[in-house]
Amino acid sequence: MTKELAIEVKNVSISYRILNNVSIRSTLFHHKTRDEVFEAVKGVTFDIEKGGILGIIGKNGSGKSTLLRSIAGVFSPNSGSIDLHDHSVSLMALGVGFKPLLTGRANIMLSGLLLGFKEKEIEERMDEIIEFAELGDFIDRPVRTYSSGMHSKLAFAITALLETDIMLVDEVLSVGDERFKAKSLAKMKELITDEDRTVIIVSHSIETLKELCDSVMWMHDGEIRKIGEPEAVLEEYKQFMMA
Amino acid sequence: MLLLISISMFILPAVFSLVIHNYLRHGEMSGRRKAVFLLVYLVVTNIITFSVSYIRGVKGFRFSDMTLSYRLKYMSLGIVLGFVMPFIVCLLTEDIITIGGFIRYGKRFYRDLKKYLPYAIWSAKADLGAEVANSYLNWLWWLIEPFCMMLIYTVIFGYVFRASEQFFPIFIFTGITMWSFFSRSINGSVDAVRHGKDIITKVYMPKYILLLSKMFVNCFKMLISFGVIALMMIVFRVPVSWNILWFIPVLMVHFLFTFGVGSIMMHYGVFVNDLGYIAGIVLQMMMYLSGVFYSISKRIPEPFGDIIESFNPVAFFMSSMRNAILYSTTPEMLLIAVWGLISLILIALGVFTIYSNENSYVKVI
Repeated sequence: MTKELAIEVKNVSISYRILNNVSIRSTLFHHKTRDEVFEAVKGVTFDIEKGGILGIIGKNGSGKSTLLRSIAGVFSPNSGSIDLHDHSVSLMALGVGFKPLLTGRANIMLSGLLLGFKEKEIEERMDEIIEFAELGDFIDRPVRTYSSGMHSKLAFAITALLETDIMLVDEVLSVGDERFKAKSLAKMKELITDEDRTVIIVSHSIETLKELCDSVMWMHDGEIRKIGEPEAVLEEYKQFMMA
Repeated sequence: MLLLISISMFILPAVFSLVIHNYLRHGEMSGRRKAVFLLVYLVVTNIITFSVSYIRGVKGFRFSDMTLSYRLKYMSLGIVLGFVMPFIVCLLTEDIITIGGFIRYGKRFYRDLKKYLPYAIWSAKADLGAEVANSYLNWLWWLIEPFCMMLIYTVIFGYVFRASEQFFPIFIFTGITMWSFFSRSINGSVDAVRHGKDIITKVYMPKYILLLSKMFVNCFKMLISFGVIALMMIVFRVPVSWNILWFIPVLMVHFLFTFGVGSIMMHYGVFVNDLGYIAGIVLQMMMYLSGVFYSISKRIPEPFGDIIESFNPVAFFMSSMRNAILYSTTPEMLLIAVWGLISLILIALGVFTIYSNENSYVKVI
């Protein structure tokens, strides 16, 4: 039986141009500043079935977050294609797009609207989100007064409770205190058991990935080094990092 | 001296265009391209300027009896053109604009606008709320600030410089209200993308939505000020006629024009770091040429006053607004329509440029 695909990534390359920022002085006095091109992701191809959970692991700067942002639609790839088959998608990353001067409540609303929810739908789930985030009175204070732990708790609560078809999780699971960590892990497991939800998790924690994912992709310098069963890939990664 | 001006009145505008063009292209032009564009600008500016002066009655160049004022006018029209043209040329050559592409982007603009408008409105509302949440006088500041400005300018210009118009305080208040909407929006547009960094690196949204939400904040404040103006009109017993309804189209065109200019500035603001300073200087200059504190057509000698009032859109919007609400005269409808059309073209250029480049915004900031 072939399952429906949720995400198809075909031969995707993403590059950054360095030195693209100009000032008057640099245009007048330094002619022709050649733009250096830095290729963060090189020709990556993979796909995920609906309801699948993919873990991505790799050392810092190997293009994991860039790939994830590209799947979330923050920028489109320079070449290749990403097909989400019309599923809604949300990216959960450290320091999620909050406006620092607004209250937590207003930020929940704004994030929800940007994820494509209607005002009413968000209001219905508002209380649930606030409860899950465990912020207490802070929910009505500006986000700039939050500690970094509170920040990511709120971010996690928003993405976990406003349920999109595809969730992209970028190293958020390891923040917060022990209790919240356990709670968010439990919530993740609950979301993951949902047949319709597709998840990509980027993490450095081998334990977390082993526990949650049903396949793991190891990225190295913008390319896929290995993709497959979690046990095998993670074992090899561990060996590589030790050496 | 006269010879110098005679030469520079033909050449200076084109050189000016080339400098701006080169700047917008990040200084990446080759020597040959520079020469070609200099020639193109030279021909185009002079053709346009000459045909304008031909229409106005100068049938040919006779250097011997040419007045200084004519030379200066010729040069300044050239420089205005020279300033505008590179932007249009760069925008048009940014990617090939075809009819199909135009329709595709147009449809996308409409769809995105419908989808993200709730966000823009909500964000504006939340920003307004946050702005006053921690101040003592709360939303009263939106009334107090422009009102105090009006008092200051009325005293300085009314009593010190002895400028006087009928209903002078309202005259100035209208000017300040419309001007501060324009200047705040343009200033905000230059670093709008940088300010929205936290959000746009996490979620996709059309980047002009950031600008739009900022403009809604300013627009709300402008409408409050107009409320105060209405009150003052009652206090001063300003006679009112049906012409007051022109208030609506003038304000709409003012909004569209600001959005058009803002969206173009927003695009270049991402790539050009010091555009903020340039915008500040140009805005300052424009403020004094827009007649915020005085009536241009009365204070500036003929024919410059009329020229400024019809060529400087902000000045034109201001004087039309004053005519409509204070002096019960009908503004020039044709000119309003023309500026409305130009605003729409500016919006199209700006929005389409943003669409075709917004991919790289996130990578640059």
